[in-house]
Amino acid sequence: MKRIWLLLTLILLLSFSLAACASGGSQAPPATENTPSAQTSSAETKEEPSPTKVHDIVTWYQYDQNNTDPASDERVGNEYLRKTIPEFNKAFEGKWKWVNQPKAFDKMTTELVAAVQAGGDVPDIFEMSNTQDLVDFYRHGVAQDMREWAQTQSWWDDLDPAGVTACTGPDGGLYCIPMAERPQIVYVWKDRFPDGFPKTPEEFMKKAEDLKSQDLYAITFFGSTDKGGEGLTRAIWTTIASFGGKLDDSKGNMLLNTPENVAAIKFIREIVAKEYVPEIAFAGGFREEDAFKDASAGSFPTGLFGYRYLNPLTAPSGKKYDKGNAEDMLDAIAAGDIYVSSYFGADGHKPGCGIDIAGFVIPVGAQNIDGVHDYINWMMETEQNAQWVQAAGGGFPVLKSTRSHELFQVPLYKEAGDALEVSECRPWYGSLQRPNEAQEQIMDAIYKLIKEDPTADIEKVLTKTQEEYNANN
Amino acid sequence: MSRIALIQPKKRRFRNALPFWLILPTIIVLLIVQVYPALYTMWLSFHEREPKGWEYVGLRNFQRLFHQSLFHESIGHTIVFLVGYASLTMIAGFFIALLLNRKLRLSGLYITLLFIPWILADIIAGMVFRLLVIPDYGLLAGFLQNPTIFPPKGLSVLTAVPPHPWFGSFPFPPAPAMILLILASSWRALPFITLLLLAAMQTVPTEVIESSRIDGANGWQIVRFIMTPLMLPTMVVALFSLILTGVNSVGMIFSLTGGGPGTSTEVLSYLLYTIGWSQLRFGRAASLALIMAIVNWLLISGTLRLTRVEERSR
Repeated sequence: MKRIWLLLTLILLLSFSLAACASGGSQAPPATENTPSAQTSSAETKEEPSPTKVHDIVTWYQYDQNNTDPASDERVGNEYLRKTIPEFNKAFEGKWKWVNQPKAFDKMTTELVAAVQAGGDVPDIFEMSNTQDLVDFYRHGVAQDMREWAQTQSWWDDLDPAGVTACTGPDGGLYCIPMAERPQIVYVWKDRFPDGFPKTPEEFMKKAEDLKSQDLYAITFFGSTDKGGEGLTRAIWTTIASFGGKLDDSKGNMLLNTPENVAAIKFIREIVAKEYVPEIAFAGGFREEDAFKDASAGSFPTGLFGYRYLNPLTAPSGKKYDKGNAEDMLDAIAAGDIYVSSYFGADGHKPGCGIDIAGFVIPVGAQNIDGVHDYINWMMETEQNAQWVQAAGGGFPVLKSTRSHELFQVPLYKEAGDALEVSECRPWYGSLQRPNEAQEQIMDAIYKLIKEDPTADIEKVLTKTQEEYNANN
Repeated sequence: MSRIALIQPKKRRFRNALPFWLILPTIIVLLIVQVYPALYTMWLSFHEREPKGWEYVGLRNFQRLFHQSLFHESIGHTIVFLVGYASLTMIAGFFIALLLNRKLRLSGLYITLLFIPWILADIIAGMVFRLLVIPDYGLLAGFLQNPTIFPPKGLSVLTAVPPHPWFGSFPFPPAPAMILLILASSWRALPFITLLLLAAMQTVPTEVIESSRIDGANGWQIVRFIMTPLMLPTMVVALFSLILTGVNSVGMIFSLTGGGPGTSTEVLSYLLYTIGWSQLRFGRAASLALIMAIVNWLLISGTLRLTRVEERSR
């Protein structure tokens, strides 16, 4: 009798194991070996959802509608989702239900690539906050080409061509729907730079020396190699671009050793050596913000959307903006304690700045393509578009007709708009096809030159870095 | 032929096959969770993702890795970290175990307190240590950045430039951030190692220690010639654990230094993480994972050979 039980148990265990393997196999979509364009057509031929049943539209946002913490860094986006999800569900009652799965901002790209590669569960819509991700999405066959559908929509002609270009892959496919342009600007404490932010490097050095004599720093920026060299995409690139530099040769090769780049690095090296930059700028973990928050540093070049993370604030006068949320910066700008500026321009060049596009990516394997179409069209309605761009996107609308919306007539956006008009903004990676790899290598090299070994030969280090990258092209 | 004669071979076959059937579920699970990922990693290491799909690249991933300057730097950092972490934890663990073995008053309380770092996740421990030393705002910043204590400008652990290397480009002496990383990692690993060693110490027969004392051995000689040889198998197990966590763990580095300042705490495990999860070069990350598996195996077999534990246990 015992043996029979033993045998039965064994059979049961075996069948469990086999069932687990079999169900895993049947659920997983086939491996994605096609080109992205080919994948689109297969995804679009999926069975249409039945009209009588409510279907989910699954999104991945870096925001969490269930996080009600008023001091959360992502409060603006969290609140936006909390307000908008019910509105969307009401508008499409009986048809679609928006289900958001919150993701960590610095992991969601990797998670999506891994999910598509492994044939796992992918969202219908992915909130993309960095155009750089598109290069990886294209290489890994992650995103669907939306051009054919997008071109037939009423809002297509209203899109800023720069946004469309940023979403276009090497094969001409449209791999994201652009929603917001996110430029890099400079936040400035008025008391530290009462006559406006300097227009040239020479003016900057003079003012920085002045501030140093008062035990203050002229500037703080993301100077560490943390977060995969993210610092490159911010103040470092802004400085390089302001000196007229670039990081590629327009043919996919890295080109660092140019007179403009060398001049820019010499400038950064000098402001670090002369201690115009606080030490915390190199500590990583976004701690460089602390020096701006307490006004010990007079200026902070970062993304336009960065305002929501800079709180609480203490003005040079001692006045506190301590709601502990995104309103602190808006209040400080409204009170005239902080203003937004362009960077300076060197040797006759326009002030440089980096720019990103935030928008929607439709991953390969998305289940509800009809729902996605309705979702995007709904988001392109002026009111919804403005709300998304201001809250989730944190930038300027790509849809030209939305730019006149009242949300963008506040001092922050007006000053940022003025700053952009005099700047020349472009993505830092140009034609580089492995931006994440390049970002880390370049930032490591620049960090060595400005901090670790300020006597090292700049040209030699830059040449070595570009050769190492180009050897893998 | 009788019925019994027919049944007997069947029974024998069943009895012989029973062990196989019993371990089959385990084998299946192992095949799924260990063998398949290992084989897939090998396959990946010879491929790289291109827009057209997975492309066979032969040994190119390994070549690219070997030509990457950060890979060479990471090997040096890994050696420094591993030696510092393993030796500090073993030595500190051994001495704490010796103290606890003396049956002090409140030794139960000490053991409970000792457990605190062990129940914390790597990431949390890293964040706590980071909060201690953040420049200007850290709990210890006032002390560390005091120029009279650390002349000429004070010490900013997370941003301090590594000292000039003594041996070519080998990263020794380590950067202050690397020393902090070693301290934090040892602090985290200490409870487990101490308890392991304490348990081994308590198995050493008191008669042996008493008789050696009668023979005139002093405290040091008892530890060196009596306790250490008897505890060696456990010490080797402790060392294995330290080597494996030292080479493979990434959480502490992630939250404490992020591989910085610059690249001065970029060890192989962190490099693997960045190649795989930041740069999304899965093929190259797989080739590094294979190399690290071989390094792990070499370190463990080397330790076994050096300590000759296998021969002793025969």
